[in-house]
Amino acid sequence: MSVSPRRLLAGASALATLAVLSVSACSAGGSGGNANGTAKTLTVNTSFVLKTLDPGRVYEATGLTAVHALYDTLLTFKGSDVGKPVPALAESYQASPDAKTFTFKLRQGVTFADGSPLTADDVVFSLNRLKNIKGSPAVTVSGLTVTKTDDSTVVVASATPDPNIPVVLSMPSTAVLNSKVAKEHGARDGADAAQGDTAQQYLDTTSVGSGPYVLKSYDPSSQVVLEANPKYWGTKPQFSRVVLRNMDVQTQKLTMQRAEAAEISLDISGKLLDGLPGSLQTSGVQDTVYFLFLNADPGVSAVTSNPKFNQALRAAIDYQGIAALYGKGAAPGAGLVAPAFPGALPAGEESKRDVAKAKALLTEAGLTNPTVKFTYPAITYKGVDLGTVATKVQGDAAEAGIKLELNPQPLTTFLDEMRGGKSPLGFTPQSLNYPVADSLINNMAPGQATALRSGWTVERADPAVVAAGKKVTATLDLAGRATAMQEWQRLMNASSPYLVLASNSSIVVATTDLTGADYTAAGWQVDVAAVGRK
Amino acid sequence: MTTLADPKAERALGRRRWLGRLRGGPAGRPVWRQPITVVALVILGGWLLLALLADVLAPYDPLAQSADTYASPSGAHWFGTDSLGRDILSRVIHGARLSIPLALAIVSLALLVGGLLGLVAGYVGRFVDEALMRLTDLVFAFPQIILAMAVTAAFGPNTRNAVLALVIVSWPVYARVIRSAVLSMRGDDYLNAARLLGVGPIRALRRDVLPNSIGPAIVLATLELGNAVLLLAALSFLGLGPRPPAAEWGSMVALGAQDLSMWWVSVFPGLAILTVVMAFNVLGDALRDRLDPRYTKGR
Repeated sequence: MSVSPRRLLAGASALATLAVLSVSACSAGGSGGNANGTAKTLTVNTSFVLKTLDPGRVYEATGLTAVHALYDTLLTFKGSDVGKPVPALAESYQASPDAKTFTFKLRQGVTFADGSPLTADDVVFSLNRLKNIKGSPAVTVSGLTVTKTDDSTVVVASATPDPNIPVVLSMPSTAVLNSKVAKEHGARDGADAAQGDTAQQYLDTTSVGSGPYVLKSYDPSSQVVLEANPKYWGTKPQFSRVVLRNMDVQTQKLTMQRAEAAEISLDISGKLLDGLPGSLQTSGVQDTVYFLFLNADPGVSAVTSNPKFNQALRAAIDYQGIAALYGKGAAPGAGLVAPAFPGALPAGEESKRDVAKAKALLTEAGLTNPTVKFTYPAITYKGVDLGTVATKVQGDAAEAGIKLELNPQPLTTFLDEMRGGKSPLGFTPQSLNYPVADSLINNMAPGQATALRSGWTVERADPAVVAAGKKVTATLDLAGRATAMQEWQRLMNASSPYLVLASNSSIVVATTDLTGADYTAAGWQVDVAAVGRK
Repeated sequence: MTTLADPKAERALGRRRWLGRLRGGPAGRPVWRQPITVVALVILGGWLLLALLADVLAPYDPLAQSADTYASPSGAHWFGTDSLGRDILSRVIHGARLSIPLALAIVSLALLVGGLLGLVAGYVGRFVDEALMRLTDLVFAFPQIILAMAVTAAFGPNTRNAVLALVIVSWPVYARVIRSAVLSMRGDDYLNAARLLGVGPIRALRRDVLPNSIGPAIVLATLELGNAVLLLAALSFLGLGPRPPAAEWGSMVALGAQDLSMWWVSVFPGLAILTVVMAFNVLGDALRDRLDPRYTKGR
C-alpha cells in the first residue's frame, strides 16, 4: 500500500487553516528590544490603511496618524476629548455671531522643520490647496474662503452658517505646509490645482511641516518611520523615533502578548481583546455604530417599506445579545450618533426587545411569515465578523416570524448594491470621518443622498423628522445643536429606515510603561507625539 | 489477444479488465481486505450514516441559537457551542449532509463533462482535439483555488455557484485521462473491425471506446473526491461557499479562526474535513494501486 507524497500533502492541507496560527506565531517574533526602558523608539502596530502622506489627499486611518504627527493645524484636540478644539498654530480665534466668519490669530515664532518661519501665507496656501486639488478630504472645506488680513491673522469665511469650522480646521488634512518648498516640488493652490498639482510623490517621502516629527522613511506596504523634529516649537516628544509597522490584527495580538515596553497596537478590538494579559493598558471610545437599513420604496419591497414591519423588526431584535457579540467596549444601539461624539443619545435610551409586540405588529400589518433578502458585506470590521452579527439578527427575527435570507457580498459588490438602492434590507458599520455628528443629517435625513439609497424621500418621511433635522442645522451654538441632534435621533428611531443595532469601540492597546496612549475619535486614532513614558 | 472477428468479446474483456483487478486476482488481496482501506471505508461509511440520519442523530437543531455562547465541550454540548450558542456537534453532523453530496456532485459533473469532451477529443482528433486540449491547458494554467475563487466571486457566492466553479476547475483532468485512453486504442483492430461492420462513431464511442477508457477516470474521480471536499471547504472558509447560516465545515472553521482561544469552534469541523479527505485519498490510492499497472509492482 503506498500513499504518494502528493496525496499526503493534499490531505495535510486540510489542516492548513489551523496551520495559519502557527505561521503567524512564528512571524510574531523579533519585536520587543525595548526591554530596558530607556529605548528612544515607540513602536506602533497597525494594519496599514495607507495611500499617501500628502495632507491635501490623506483620507485613510494610518495616513492620518502619521500626518497628525508631521504637521500642525490651526486648532487641535487634546487626548481623547473631541468636544472642543484647543489652540495649535492659532493661539486664539474668534467666531462671528452668524457662524460664518472665523478669525484666527497665529502663534508667533513657529518655524518649519527646515528652520524657515511659518506665516499666514503658508496657512492660506495650504487650505486653498486642500480645497482646490479636490482630493477625498476636500469636501470638508469646499464652501470655505481663506484670506489673510496681516502676517499673523487668517480669516476663514463660510457661505452658510457653520459652527463646526473650528473642528474642521483641527483635522490633519487642513495641515499647514511650507508653501515655498511645496511649490518648488509641484504644489499648486489655484482654482485649477486639481490638474496642476504634482506634489504628492514628493510629499509621500518628505514632510514639509512644523509638527513634532519629520518623515524619515515611507514604505506603504511595511513601515513608516518618524524622527523627532529638532526645531519643533512646542513641547518636544519623549520618543525620538516612532515606527509605524504594518501588521495583521492576529499578529498584533500575539505581538502585544509578548511586548514589554514602548509598544502600542491600534486594531485589537472586540472579541480579540479577550485573553490579552492584564499587564497591558487599553484606551477606547465607542465611535462606530452598526445599523440596518430597510428600503422605504414600495417598488423595491412591499414588506420593508411597510411602517408596521419596520416597527416589528425593531421590536424583534435582541440588542443586548448583539452587543455581547462585539465583546468588551460595545453597547446596545441607541441612536445614529456614536457615544463618542457630542449629540449622542444617553445610555438608558437604547432600543429594547419585545417579541410579542413584534408579532402583534406583523399581524396588524397583515404580514404572515414575510421573507426579506438581507444583504451585508462579508467582512470583519474592527475585530467583528459582520456575518456573525447578521446571523444573530436572522435568528432574532425568526423568533418573531420574520424570515431573513442572508446574502453576504464582497465589500465592493455590497457598496455597488447600496448605491443602486435596490436592496430591501442591508447592514453596515458607520464611523465618522471627522468628529461632527451633524454630518449625518446631510446624509441620512429624508431626501439626502444616503437616505435616497434606501428610498427614503421627503414625501415618504414623517414631517416631524424633516423639521427636526432642519432645526439641528439652524441651531448655531454647539450645545444647542447637540440637544437638537438628540431630539432628531429619537424621531429617527421612531420611523426612519435606520435601525441601530449596537455601538462598538475603537481601542488603543499599549504597554503599561506608556502614558498618553489615548484613543481619539478625532481621526488620527492616537497622538503619537503625546505618548510618553512614566 | 485481439480477435478481428469478435469485437463483442474484446469489449467484454476490456470491461472486466478493471473490475477484475479490484477483486484482486493473481496480483494480491482485494482492496477491501487491506487494513488501511478498511479504516477508510469505515470512516466514510460512518460519515454517510451520519449524513443520512442527521435529523435523528444530531442532539440539537444546527441553526438554533441560544444564550449559551462559547460553551466549552461538556456533557450537554459534546463539541461545545459557537459565538451564537449553536451546538457544534449538531452542526458538524449536518455539515456532512452538505459536504459529501456536494463533493459527489462536483466530481460526477466534472467526470461527465470532462469525460465527454475527452472522448470527443480522442476519437475525433485533429483540430477538435487541438482546440479542446488548449482549453484544458488554459484551465490548468491557473491554480485551482484561485480560479474557483474568481468564478464564484464573479457569479456571486452561493452553493450552486461554488459547485459550478469547482466543476469548471476540475473537468480538464478527466478530459485528459479519457482522451489518452481513447488515443491508445484508436488504431486497435477491434475498432477498425467495428467500423468495417458499419458501426457509426456514436455507437462505437458508447459501446466500445467508453467502457474501455472509463476505468482510470473512475480511480481519478475517487482521488478527486477528497480534493473536492477540501476545495469546497476552502471556498466557504473564504465566504464564497454555501450561504450562512448553513452548517458548512469550511465556514465553521472560518468562524472559529477569528478567535482561536475558543479552539473547539474550529477544531471539530476541521477534524471532520481531515477525516473525510484522508479517507477519500486512502480509498483512491488503494483503487489506483489495484488498477494502474505502474503502481502494482513489488506487491
